[in-house]
Amino acid sequence: MLALRRLAAVGSADVVCIAQERPEVAARLARRAGFEQTVLVDPAPYAVSRSFGVETVPTAVRIDVDGRARDRVVGWDAEGYSSLLGVVIDGEPRSKPGCVARGFFEESFGGLDELEDMFERGWSDGLPVVPPTPERVEAMVGGRDGARSLGLVPPAQGEATLERVAACAVLAGCRPAYFPIVVAAVEAALDPRFNAHGVAVTTQPAGPIVVVNGPAREPVGVNGGMGALGPGTRANATIGRALRLVLALTGGAYPGGLDRATLGHAGKLFCCFAENEEASPWPALHVERGLAPGASAVTVFAGDAPLSISDHRSKAPEELAATLAWAAAGQWSPFWWPMDDTSLFVVCPEHAALFADAGWDKERVRSAMFEAVVRPAGELRRGETTPLVHAADDDTPIQKWTTPEKIVLVVAGGEAGRFSAVFGPCDGMKSEPVTKEILWST
Amino acid sequence: MEYVSPIDERVREPIPFASRPSALEGKRVALLDITKARGSEFLDRVEQRLREHGAQTFRISKEIFSKPASLDVIEEIALRGDLTVEGLAD
Repeated sequence: MLALRRLAAVGSADVVCIAQERPEVAARLARRAGFEQTVLVDPAPYAVSRSFGVETVPTAVRIDVDGRARDRVVGWDAEGYSSLLGVVIDGEPRSKPGCVARGFFEESFGGLDELEDMFERGWSDGLPVVPPTPERVEAMVGGRDGARSLGLVPPAQGEATLERVAACAVLAGCRPAYFPIVVAAVEAALDPRFNAHGVAVTTQPAGPIVVVNGPAREPVGVNGGMGALGPGTRANATIGRALRLVLALTGGAYPGGLDRATLGHAGKLFCCFAENEEASPWPALHVERGLAPGASAVTVFAGDAPLSISDHRSKAPEELAATLAWAAAGQWSPFWWPMDDTSLFVVCPEHAALFADAGWDKERVRSAMFEAVVRPAGELRRGETTPLVHAADDDTPIQKWTTPEKIVLVVAGGEAGRFSAVFGPCDGMKSEPVTKEILWST
Repeated sequence: MEYVSPIDERVREPIPFASRPSALEGKRVALLDITKARGSEFLDRVEQRLREHGAQTFRISKEIFSKPASLDVIEEIALRGDLTVEGLAD
């Protein structure tokens, strides 16, 4: 960075920076240094650096018109650069040693550890991954046609062949038995109705949320019970992570690269859980969405972090419906009413039982929630609000959602405890939930 | 060590930029509104400035900012315009 900053000040067009980075990282580096000259990249396995025998970064090499390397300067050396470029370089410090170059480190110290190699390649979400060796990927593909394409993954339009999806599933730590669920989740996310492009690149913190229904949950062990939204279950963590890696690696939506999330959130590492159909008094999500009760399915939603909703004291269903719904009143923005986006509520079994004991079906719950959250337009004309609120009279009642159908209810969680949750929406994306059947012969 | 890459490694041919016009006089400029909040205000101002420089302008919108422009939109810009200005972000 020091050398780049100082050379940026010199401004010589003859200087080309070759960064041992991926393009987006190199671009950021140059921007931070104010370096406006040409920047090229030499990512792993650092072929250019090796060919010039670079052991230290920074190293400057003067290339003659005949293409041969002449003089070189190692580390930051103001006098050396002055001589190399034929200009006066003022200012302190005059010299500073560099660091070991990446390719040189591998050669000198017996090669990269396999896990470190994955980070070097950028095949990670920040946590260690399982290296996708041909043997592991083959086991994941499981005799299916690895060249079969599930479609192009936005935003970079990488093709999601089964083999690449399997590589992501291996990286994520999936067992081969999970693969049909991963494939169904990728198919759902690539459905145009989901708008993976918008979800992947948005400055919002949103990411995909995967809900698994049907018999497939059992053998694979997707958790819909205690701690369903949290860590601790391999299937939940790795299936959700595999879909994220398909978007980030095959699709190129890497955080800080084409994924432009201002903040993001930890749930973008993975978000996958099962519906606790056994504890639910209502038809399962996939049945509600048109599939047969015996089918297995994934439903993919776009949303951000869940907000926990505690209610241990409501006795009447109207009270509980109001508690759940008002918890979402501040979603997107406290004054952004109505919201034309899906709010995914995860209703815990005790809350679901209270509704069931009162004879309330899902439709009744949804309707009561929709009706409960209403405020006069005059109270909403603050900060960011909608054109509808701006145009309305002060006393006009405005609801939080455009329709009751924007409220989606899924039952999950342990048998004890009255904590439900609502996921933040992915606003304004026209992203719809998409359900795909899990086909074991995929 | 050999690995199966999760990345589509195919190299795509870069599409060259169209040549830059030397003047705006008489040029047809497409003003693409991606439907982000206040994008139209930005384009209003750009449109005014372009007309002052003798350019002709026409407005066109994407279905929604979060999706790539449809082929219809791209074709209309290509057919009707010499230049495009896109109003990005809020």
